[in-house]
Formats: sequence, structure tokens, C-alpha cells
Amino acid sequence: MKDSGFRIQDSGVRSRDSGPPAAGRQPQALSPEPLARRSVLAGLAAAAGLAGLGAQAWIVLRSLVPNVAYDPPTIVKVGRPESFADGLTFVPDRRVFIVRDGKTFRAVSAVCTHLGCTVRPEAFDEADPTDTAGRRQVQVYQFSCPCHGSRYRADGTPVSGPAPGPLAAYRLTLAPDDGQLVVDVGKEVARTSALTLP
Amino acid sequence: MPRRRFWSVFPASAREATDAIVANLLLHAFPARMRVRSLAWTPSLWLGTVSWVLFVSLLVTGLPLMVFYIPSTREAYQSVKDIEHVVSFGWWLRAAHRIAAHAMVIAVTLHLARVFLTGAYRNAAEREQHREWNWVIGVSLLAATVLLSFTGYLLPWDQLAYWAVTTSMNIVASAPLVGRSIRSLLLGADEVGQSALMRFYVLHIVVLPIAVAALFAYHMWRIRKDGGLAHPSEAREHQDALVVETIPTVVIRVAVVTVATWLAVTVLAILIPSPLEEAANPLLTPNPAKAPWYFLWLQEIVADTTVRLGPFTINGALVGGVLLPVALLVVTTLWPWLDRSPASTAGVWMPRQRRTQLLVFGALAVLVVGLTVVGLLRGPSWHFFWPWQPWPDMPSRF
Repeated sequence: MKDSGFRIQDSGVRSRDSGPPAAGRQPQALSPEPLARRSVLAGLAAAAGLAGLGAQAWIVLRSLVPNVAYDPPTIVKVGRPESFADGLTFVPDRRVFIVRDGKTFRAVSAVCTHLGCTVRPEAFDEADPTDTAGRRQVQVYQFSCPCHGSRYRADGTPVSGPAPGPLAAYRLTLAPDDGQLVVDVGKEVARTSALTLP
Repeated sequence: MPRRRFWSVFPASAREATDAIVANLLLHAFPARMRVRSLAWTPSLWLGTVSWVLFVSLLVTGLPLMVFYIPSTREAYQSVKDIEHVVSFGWWLRAAHRIAAHAMVIAVTLHLARVFLTGAYRNAAEREQHREWNWVIGVSLLAATVLLSFTGYLLPWDQLAYWAVTTSMNIVASAPLVGRSIRSLLLGADEVGQSALMRFYVLHIVVLPIAVAALFAYHMWRIRKDGGLAHPSEAREHQDALVVETIPTVVIRVAVVTVATWLAVTVLAILIPSPLEEAANPLLTPNPAKAPWYFLWLQEIVADTTVRLGPFTINGALVGGVLLPVALLVVTTLWPWLDRSPASTAGVWMPRQRRTQLLVFGALAVLVVGLTVVGLLRGPSWHFFWPWQPWPDMPSRF
């Protein structure tokens, strides 16, 4: 019993290398084929494993990209036109200035085009260009950024500092229901465009 | 013997000392013997050990802070205020954490400078060594350290934190092609808000500490495989005459450096209070708004490098915030392969054969320090103020 058990195991081991001698085939004929098959299968298994790992890595990365944005809406009502005084009014929620000049309204972004800090308006008196005698003074303003010292003219044109572009102008409309000004900070418009009330 | 209850290793012979190293969980990271020269203060200044001690003290002081900190935009600021004013010794824990974080950025940077100045990324010709690879691991450790410090910067959710992160994320967004995606992946939204705070928190307390610990283990293992600290003419020395047993000499040195580092952090944390500005206000940028001190030199460049070529404008954020730092990081990482000086310069402080590269390094270091000083002296509206000049009163609200 013990002997036969030994023999079975022994022949089993040998058969992997050179094939069962009982079959009467030449050992050379058998040896390359199973090895090639095995290495192909091993390669396939490794590739499948790597592909699975890659897919899971992608799953993890994809899960980090939000599907729902909880950012506040870009279109907001900011108030009735008559509630704005001439000059500048800052609308804090959307970081935008409403610029009123009589019946003309414009919306100028308060976000610096350099690195996104909130610019501040600076008002100062200047000689009125329409007054030839040079005695009258008018109040003019400019925007300055506290982060890296960029300055803009009132229409948003950059004057000095690292700001690469002008402050954005946004579309301004009148709400059809209650006549409030509506600013859309998702819609940039040309800086010359303005809303003129009749 | 009562002392054996706490420390099992008191070898009576060289043989016992060697066996004790192998048998001890904590000590087996050390070799059994070390060169006397490696233990001296001058070749390494022990800056690597100092960095590691600071990292461990950051883990230790960070744990109690985690118990009280709430990573929510509504509660973060208040919870930090509580740590500062309500929790017993909370002010000291926060100060120690902050001082150790700043010190770690300094220590790791100086360590990198030391390795550069002594050419310790160079392999001795005789042996199978990969010191250049350990330099690359070291550069990643510096990057991870700076990121750790920076992600911690946002957590108090005060004005300083909010605006430093807002501007840095806009710098990231200015990178071509991938910039916007990286920014939205880090922020989880278009603006710095709740998801950004959560992401920075997870990076700060889990991802980056584990990365640093793993890289550190790899770093130390490579030093062992490379045969200890780089030193001149490694192959020719008479090893026997110049080595000491790790127990007790090395253990005592490490203990001295550990205690000295922790003592410095402890005392500085008592002397230097941690700032906490007003709560974060996305509507109002403080004047001036500055980057963390280790980014001030980059902020100077970002503020001065907007290039206008006719109708084309290149944002300074791209030049100073992306192109320049990335180029610097790439050159630094690849430096061991670019440095063609002879192998005999390994482990020698500032050898004459490397004069040109040392001069360039010195010039860069002076430039960075100079720009940092200029950045420190910036006042309201980005004007320049000497330390003795008072800042003008600026309205903090419209």
C-alpha cells in the first residue's frame, strides 16, 4: 500500500515534465506546448488583474468628482433700479458692483482677474475735464486689489499691477415680474453693454 | 534590576550590543555599528533626525486637536477658537502643532540644502549604491511636508486661511490643460467651501501623514542599503578604527537630538501665540492678503511676472505659480543625474570642483530669501513698509 502510493505520486510528478511513458509519445513533442499555454494564461490573468485594479482606481478617482454642484445660482435679483444711488453699489452675495449713471446701469465684477481676490473701490476727487477753468471737481473712482496691488479704472480696464485682463462685465436685465434688476454672473458681456431704462 | 523593566538592553560586550540591535523592535532600524564621522554634528547637522522628531511631535499634538476640531464651514472657526480659549492648554497644543509644522518645513528644506552642499546624493564608485534615488524620495518628502503644512493652513477657516487657499487654487487653475481639473478635484466645487474644507482635512490628517511615514521608512531603508551617510573616500578607510557600537553611542545621540528638538518646540510654543484672524469672509479680502511665509517668494514672482506682449497677456500666476516652481522641482529632482562632478566629492562640504553649481545654488537661495523678505514687508495695497513704519488705518468694511 505504502509503496503504490509512493509510485502514483512519483509518476504524477514525472508526467508534468515528460508526459506519461505509458502513452508512448516522445517527451520533446509535449514539452513546449503546455508551457506556452501556461504562460499565456498567466499573462492573461495578470492583465485581467491589472485591468481590474486600474478600473477600481478610476472608480475611486471618479467618486471624488462631484456630480451635483451646491454652488449658489448665478442669476440673482439685486433690487429695484431706483434703489441704487448714482455711482457704485456693492452686491456682496455675488461679488459684483452695480454701476449707475443716471438711467444707465452696468454690472462690473468685483473678482480680480489675477487670482480672484475681491477688489475695493477707491474714490477720489479730480478736476472736471469738462470745466476748462479747472475749478470744478468731480468724484471719480477706481478699483484696487488688496492681494497683489492691481488697479483698474472704473470701467474695469487694468491700469497697473499683475492683473492680466479687465474686470468682467455681466449681463443685466429687468425682471419681468417685479421690475428688479437681474444680474447673471454666469454670462459675461462686452464691457460697453449697459442696461438703459426708458 | 528595576531599570530592566523599562529598557532591556544593557550590553556588556560588543557581541551583546550587536545582538541587542537585532533583537530589539525599535533599535533594529539602526545598524549595529556606525562610523564615528557620521555621528559628528558637522557632516549632517542631524537635520533628518530633527525633521523626523518634528513629524512625530506633529502626530502627537495633532491627535488631541482632532478631538476638538470640527471640519465644517459653520463650526470650524468656532472650534478653533474653543481650542484657543476654552480647552485646557488647548492654546499650547495648537501653538506646539503650529510651531512644529513651521519648523518641519524649515528643517526639511535645510536638510535638502545640506545634502546638496555635501553632494551626498553621489554614489561611491566601489559599491552598489542608489543614493540618487534616495534624493528623489527626499524631494518627494519635502513636497509632502509643504503640502501637509498648506492643507493645515485652511483648517482654522479664518480670513488668512480662506484667502491664501483661494489665491493658491487660482494659481493651480492657471496651469495649462490640467489646471482646472486639479482645482475642481481639490475643491470639489467652483469655490472654496464645505467640500474644499473636507478634502483638505482628509488630506491633512490621513493621506499626507501616511505618505510621509511610508516615504520616511523607504528613505531610512535606502540609507542603510547605501551604507550609511555619504562620506569621502568610503572604500579606503580603515573601518575598524572608526566605528562605534550603536548601543550606547548612537542611541544617546538620537536621544539628545530628540529632547533638544522637542524642548525647542515646547518653549517656542509658550512664547509665540498662534494667530487667529476674523472668521472667513468670501466677500471681503483682507488688505494685505498674503501667502504662507514659505510661499511669499513665489507670491512676489506671481505678482511681478504678468507679461504683456502686444495683444497677448500671460498671467503672472502661470509664470510664477506654475512654470517656474514646476521647472525648479523637475531640475531639483533630476539634479543627481545632471551633476557631473567626480565621485570623490561625495560627503564633502562645498568642494572646489563643484564651484559653479554651488554659486548658482547660492544665488538662488539669496534670491528666494530676498523675495521672502520683500514679501514680509508688504503692507496694505501691496505697498512696501519698513518694520518701523506704521501701516495706515484701512477700513475693514465698506
